[in-house]
Amino acid sequence: MKVNVLIFGPLKDVTGTHVCQVIDVADTSEMVTKMNKMYPGLDKMKFLIAVEKEIVQGNTMLKDNYTVALLPPYSGG
Amino acid sequence: MTKHKNIFVGGAISAAFIAEKIQAHQDKLNIGGHSIFLGQVRADDIDNKKVTAIEYTSYEELALEKMSEVREDAFNKYDLTCMHIYHSLGKVNAGEICLFVFTSSAHRKAAIDACEEVVERIKKELPIWGKELFEDDTYQWKENN
Repeated sequence: MKVNVLIFGPLKDVTGTHVCQVIDVADTSEMVTKMNKMYPGLDKMKFLIAVEKEIVQGNTMLKDNYTVALLPPYSGG
Repeated sequence: MTKHKNIFVGGAISAAFIAEKIQAHQDKLNIGGHSIFLGQVRADDIDNKKVTAIEYTSYEELALEKMSEVREDAFNKYDLTCMHIYHSLGKVNAGEICLFVFTSSAHRKAAIDACEEVVERIKKELPIWGKELFEDDTYQWKENN
């Protein structure tokens, strides 16, 4: 199974990409652990996680083809 | 899927656009007051470097969903006639307008209070990111206080 991850703002400087796919992860915690290995420096960044456009608190189960977004602190306006 | 009203404008929001929106309300005779907030890009000096522009990006789908919520809350809380919101995406130079919040009501208080609350919520709750571009082509990510 795979999830599509959208990466925004300053996080994009760390990952070098706006989108990526992460495979074989059951929940957001596993996904972040895997991404921290893929992108050194990501573990030092602050962000919220949205699963299917819903901001989640705590570890959240993922399903195949879900879209997950990593949202660093906002700075609009 | 609910269709959310778009708030995003490519680049700066022009004074002519703002004037047009004000003009468009002249036939709404139940309105007694408008409140307008205009966010302008400031040429901040950071470590002796001047900000020349801000480049905005957003998670648009989520931002528009969130904006619909903010809009609905404002209409439930305040006696508004109408509300219009525009936010820039892409590059906006220092001195140009990047946010336009426009609320209208029969009496001034509702429009003023709603405008203030909506501006605060936009800055706090909408997934939008501003990248401050400096004159020497370096940048830093903006942080809202």
